[in-house]
Amino acid sequence: MTIVAIAREAEGVDIRERLKKEVLVFDGAMGTMLQTRGLKLGELPEVVNIEKPEMVRQIHRDYIDAGAMIITSNTFGANELKLKNSPYGLEDVIHAAVENAKIAIGHGDNYIALDIGPIGELLEPMGSLKFEDAYDIFKRQVVQGVKDGVDLILIETMTDLYEAKAAVLAAKENSSLPVFATMSFEANMRTFTGTTPLSMVMTLEGLGVDALGINCSLGPKEIEPILDEILSYSKIPVMVQANAGLPTILDKRPVYNVLAEEYAYYGRKFIEKGVRIIGGCCGTTDEYIRTMSEKIRGLKPVFLGMEGRSGVCTPTKAISIDGVKVIGERINPTGKKLFKEALKGGDIDYILREAIEQVEAGAHILDVNVGLPEIDEEKMMVDVVKEIQSILDVPLQIDSTDPRVIEAGLRVYNGKAIVNSVNGEDQVLDRILPIVKKYGAAIVGLTLDERGIPDTALGRYKIAEKIVRKAEDHGIARGDVYIDCLTLTAAAQQKEVRETLDALRLVKELGVKTVLGVSNVSFGLPNRKLINKTFFAAALYQGLDLPIINPLDKEMMDTILASNLLWNKDRGGNEYLAGHRGRGHKPLDRPDRDLDLSDIIIRGIREDAKEATSKLLGEYEALEIVNKYLIPALDTVGDRYEKEIIFLPQLIQSAETVKASFEILKESLAASSGPSISRGKVLLATVKGDIHDIGKNIVKVLLENYNFQVIDLGKDVPIERIVEKVQGEDIRLVGLSALMTTTVRSMEETIAELRKVKTNIKIMVGGAVLNREYASMIKADYYGNDAKEAVRIAKEIYK
Amino acid sequence: MSKLEIDRNEVLRYLGYRNQSIDEATDKIIDQSIEEIGDLMEARYVYKFFDLKKDDGFLLEGTNLRLGGRDIKGHLAEADSCIVMGVTLGHRVDRAIRYYEKLSMARAMILDACASTAVEAVCDRVNEDLLDMVRVNKRTLTSRYSPGYGDLSLDMQSPILDVLGAKGSIGLSATLHNILIPRKSVTAIMGIVDEDYRQADADCIGCPKYDDCSYRKGGGRCGY
Repeated sequence: MTIVAIAREAEGVDIRERLKKEVLVFDGAMGTMLQTRGLKLGELPEVVNIEKPEMVRQIHRDYIDAGAMIITSNTFGANELKLKNSPYGLEDVIHAAVENAKIAIGHGDNYIALDIGPIGELLEPMGSLKFEDAYDIFKRQVVQGVKDGVDLILIETMTDLYEAKAAVLAAKENSSLPVFATMSFEANMRTFTGTTPLSMVMTLEGLGVDALGINCSLGPKEIEPILDEILSYSKIPVMVQANAGLPTILDKRPVYNVLAEEYAYYGRKFIEKGVRIIGGCCGTTDEYIRTMSEKIRGLKPVFLGMEGRSGVCTPTKAISIDGVKVIGERINPTGKKLFKEALKGGDIDYILREAIEQVEAGAHILDVNVGLPEIDEEKMMVDVVKEIQSILDVPLQIDSTDPRVIEAGLRVYNGKAIVNSVNGEDQVLDRILPIVKKYGAAIVGLTLDERGIPDTALGRYKIAEKIVRKAEDHGIARGDVYIDCLTLTAAAQQKEVRETLDALRLVKELGVKTVLGVSNVSFGLPNRKLINKTFFAAALYQGLDLPIINPLDKEMMDTILASNLLWNKDRGGNEYLAGHRGRGHKPLDRPDRDLDLSDIIIRGIREDAKEATSKLLGEYEALEIVNKYLIPALDTVGDRYEKEIIFLPQLIQSAETVKASFEILKESLAASSGPSISRGKVLLATVKGDIHDIGKNIVKVLLENYNFQVIDLGKDVPIERIVEKVQGEDIRLVGLSALMTTTVRSMEETIAELRKVKTNIKIMVGGAVLNREYASMIKADYYGNDAKEAVRIAKEIYK
Repeated sequence: MSKLEIDRNEVLRYLGYRNQSIDEATDKIIDQSIEEIGDLMEARYVYKFFDLKKDDGFLLEGTNLRLGGRDIKGHLAEADSCIVMGVTLGHRVDRAIRYYEKLSMARAMILDACASTAVEAVCDRVNEDLLDMVRVNKRTLTSRYSPGYGDLSLDMQSPILDVLGAKGSIGLSATLHNILIPRKSVTAIMGIVDEDYRQADADCIGCPKYDDCSYRKGGGRCGY
């Protein structure tokens, strides 16, 4: 392959400058043009860059002649995963693609966009690709594109906001080029993975892209309502590349139902609405771009001047701060023994239960604080953020004093988060604000500085003013600054309690939102709940937007309902009434309330287990309850399962009932710091390559029931991770799970490696494709054909 | 797609049910989960027709996809063309199952079984429509054949998704290890054959689970 290096004459005006004054026109589809020239289904369009360069160049020339100001390199799928079976390296493909574009441009003044499409494999938690690996994949593309001299980076056709974020970070951290990013939506106004237009705008804008928008999947007519929504939110230029309508298959080829003339009509309409960058996607050709270029000639860009809105989001849910929104405070180890234990033991499930409970109780946002001197806070923050966002669509507030922890949390967070917190100290502001800006988060500003908390409302206002000014200096809008006027303790500083409330009213004049933790006020006083509630009602009256409270405290949540009703925010009192509907009635289908704990377990009535256990704790020691009630009931259930009197879901319900009971017992044991009741540690993992882990999780529930401490490494676990863990801890039994014939191989490799480092380790295996013969073939010690058997094996080993 | 009937017996079959007595609470969760899967699923499908060119295996004309191996050869022996399809229930189902795994394993298992039943039901529905289409020309379809059956490698998952354009059209992709994402998804190939074609019943010999299969022990079949 010989490639002529071409010196480009177009280099000069940055496209960002032109974007301020002109409507930018992109080219249309590359894939469609290649297919009409003979590209087969399933063939990689990027390989054509090298094998038939003239074909690609001619397509570029056609688009340039048609009026495209920016042409897109033929690199949509030029990433290391899609090219893994191709004879050409990623760098060669991108180099060839950019050279083709340069040759086509010749002496023209067109720009080249480095095209970056989705990787083709989904990121965690939906798929198995790690966020960090996705970043590295994109980085390689960006680095080569920059080397070859592209003018901007176009990230397009994204359906997963997380993947878009990885791509944007890779683009911005490895180049200083303009970055445009578009996502593909369905007619239901969501992407395939559920991202909403508002979440996309909040997140991409925050990450600092130069333009954002929508492309592919729909024709211009279907795109219009989605576009309208995006235009109503976005502060930055909006881009559209629609398909030529919807495809129908004619003679085995897709034919699109919108012709060039109609496409151009919409193009003009979109620009008049405020779209600043336009082009085409699937089904569009040079004819579409030509017709549209002619139709929009002379149009000046429309500047909508959208104000930013205060809010945070996950991909599927955006929370606008336009009324009281509750931040749940419970993910925080301060003063909580069990929580600390969970952090030390890496028990993320415990933290997840705290998260679920708070969301169920009505929290809109969750504060996440995992700071403990004994643990690696940075790693824990990353793990907890990833785990929470894999099961809940609740926005998070990253709470730490360590900038590294804050950055690590923000980086892996999917959406727009809040950072808790900065204060008025220059040193803190200068260190934290650049991180907040980089990741597009909102920031909590505490009204204190090196001199402490000012006594007066005015003093705190002045610090707030400084924080807002500094934030704006860093490019953070004041709508994204949430000021905390700091609650003082009435028992110690009675006179200053109202200063907080006065300050709250004052700082709102700065155009910021306010945040406040309230429970401090009652410290040291009897009947704290009363004090909290009274103070809280007053703070809400002053205009508090974001209370940081325990959402499981019903009275506090009710205070919000009452305040919203009284101050005419809950018009017609609908929320208040809805919140009180059905109260005062006894639950209907609970006829067996007075069952004893054994019966409750046998019947699997989990919601009654806690109460029954607490009652028993009045009479017995925790260990007695385990031996007298839990174990015999479990044995009965196990026996009934083996005799096929009950089936698996019933066994599991009983097991979870025992688990609920254990949680109460653990609290009591932790309080008395009595002896540990664990029988021993068992490590569980679904092996590398496999992500079916429901079976492994069932085994885990049962093992925990029988007092085994389970170290659950999750799914798709690399061999090294299992080996490392086994060496570091007193583990005598490892349980491995695999559901596919292809991953049994990685099970075998894992076993071989484990044997090398720990000769006396016992290994049990399970999973749909295994049987006793397979198990011995891959040199496992035990085959567990079901969860019950796994318990028997564990009992045998830890006799 | 009009409301899909979820067959309760199928759900129970996925849960390993063999006529045990189901208590009221479990019964209720099953009913709720059947209801819930209806709300959660966003069923999408895509299919394409291809002429088959027989050589070493089967080449799908107009593509670079070649189906190889003994079993697919048998399956498509009498077909001159085929339909390739992809079906998915979408990401919300996966997310809900993940959520319940943290909240209640029993509910997670049951919802998982409902989802497996639902995706098969969607396949059946699409299958019926396709059958109606080919019947016009006095043709019929073989049963659905998927990567992972017999000796048709799971490695075919990605190439099949590529020729379907399934990522773009229905948001269906695969992991590096050929697991479909969203998880509750199916890809399948059906041969188009003469209407008097009768398919021999596939037997279970050759299945890696032959000795341990709990369906077979109970006198049933897993459905593959």
